Amino acid sequence: MSDKMSIEAINEQLLRAIGVGVALLDAADHSFIYQNDTFVEWFATEAEHKRLDDLLPDFDIGALEAELDGNKRFTAEIKHRKKRRERIFAIEFTRAADNGNGMIILVCQNISRIRELESMIDSYSQMVERNTREIKREKEQVEKLLLNMMPRSVYDEFKTFGVVIPKLYDPVSVLMLDFVGFTQMAASADPAVTVSELNDIYSAFDRIGEQYGCERIKTMGDAYITVSGLPDPTPDHARAVANVAIRFIRYLERRNEGHPNQWRCRIGITSGPVVGSVIGIQKYVYDIFGPAVNLASRLQDCSEAMEITTNEPIYEMLKDQFRFEHIGKQDIRGFNEQDLYRLRDSRQPIR
Amino acid sequence: MAAQTLFEKYGGFSAVSKIVLSFYDVLLDSDDVGPFFDDVDMARLIDHQTKFIASLLGGPASYTDEQLYRLHERLDLEDRHFDEVVATLAGTLAKHGFSAEDVATVEARLEIRRSVIVRQNVD
Repeated sequence: MSDKMSIEAINEQLLRAIGVGVALLDAADHSFIYQNDTFVEWFATEAEHKRLDDLLPDFDIGALEAELDGNKRFTAEIKHRKKRRERIFAIEFTRAADNGNGMIILVCQNISRIRELESMIDSYSQMVERNTREIKREKEQVEKLLLNMMPRSVYDEFKTFGVVIPKLYDPVSVLMLDFVGFTQMAASADPAVTVSELNDIYSAFDRIGEQYGCERIKTMGDAYITVSGLPDPTPDHARAVANVAIRFIRYLERRNEGHPNQWRCRIGITSGPVVGSVIGIQKYVYDIFGPAVNLASRLQDCSEAMEITTNEPIYEMLKDQFRFEHIGKQDIRGFNEQDLYRLRDSRQPIR
Repeated sequence: MAAQTLFEKYGGFSAVSKIVLSFYDVLLDSDDVGPFFDDVDMARLIDHQTKFIASLLGGPASYTDEQLYRLHERLDLEDRHFDEVVATLAGTLAKHGFSAEDVATVEARLEIRRSVIVRQNVD
């Protein structure tokens, strides 16, 4: 007899203290018949609730009844605020299999911590995603900068292997340009204005070069070097550079008409082999080397303002397509005697 | 290489998540500071605290003074409330194994924000 009592007592103790909220409802009016300690702790407020709708005014009793009749059970997730603490519960109702009195068993579990953790993970993912986007944007910026410094294929090699193997490109055509009286201009005019105008002009040159598939190698002060046939070989390299040279001059002529500052360039173009590579470890720059580069520079020195000077290889390749003027043989430092030509714009009147 | 942040030093998000929940529990139960959260949605509060604590520890979040000001301007917070939050956070960090020096660092970072969070006396 005393054994049986103690088991009942234990059962009741368990039901009271278990970390799950348990309550019994009258099936007819949904008044509370029993609430265990956990349930009371979670839901009891100053004004004690007598019925389910006192406790949960927004609860859909109709849906509960319908589900209980059909499925014998009803589950829902409810929010309840006690004091300022909002808790979220998974709540389940079942009809008690009693002898006709009609009771509903309500069992609920506190899933607040899960929801809180979910919110936190959301919050953290947002942060991480935003950071990832920022990193991606920065990476794109860096890539854009590096692509300004070297051809894409070279950049890809650099990115993959961390180094760039010097590569021979043969043949390519090189265009070398500088401005007449630039040093004087930079010294006499407002340097900021001079640099800003130079920037405009170089940007225009870059766009012109791009149209003909030329790769701008670098600018150094008033010197501008662009190449065709690199990194991808093209049979048209000489023609591309000749077209670009003529358009550089056309561009400057048109620009000079509307500007107080007169920019007048000298251009040298030639064809031959060059080696291209990234030079430097901390401060790298993509550069090209070789006889074609030096020769283009010497030919540029032979030009007067707004003239394009070239030599035999370009002349031979383009003589049927462009207007040339032979200007005689000349000794070029570091090279043998060369036949020099002026490349003329076919739009210019023949003098 | 950049110096290690406290966020990284104490185990990244997995550690910070425990700190946030513990901080959140203590604040909500506090009778002085708790009432300020009476009408605040749980998800919003957790979101704010996760980001703010992450930012204090040098994690992947940052709050501008402007944002903090707007979040707190209608609350009329006083210095004593701010003090309690600082003390609560310090206690929470210590409980989660932060060294005294690092707790002081975080307190100092929080202190810098006092003027944007606490109501300014304009009389």
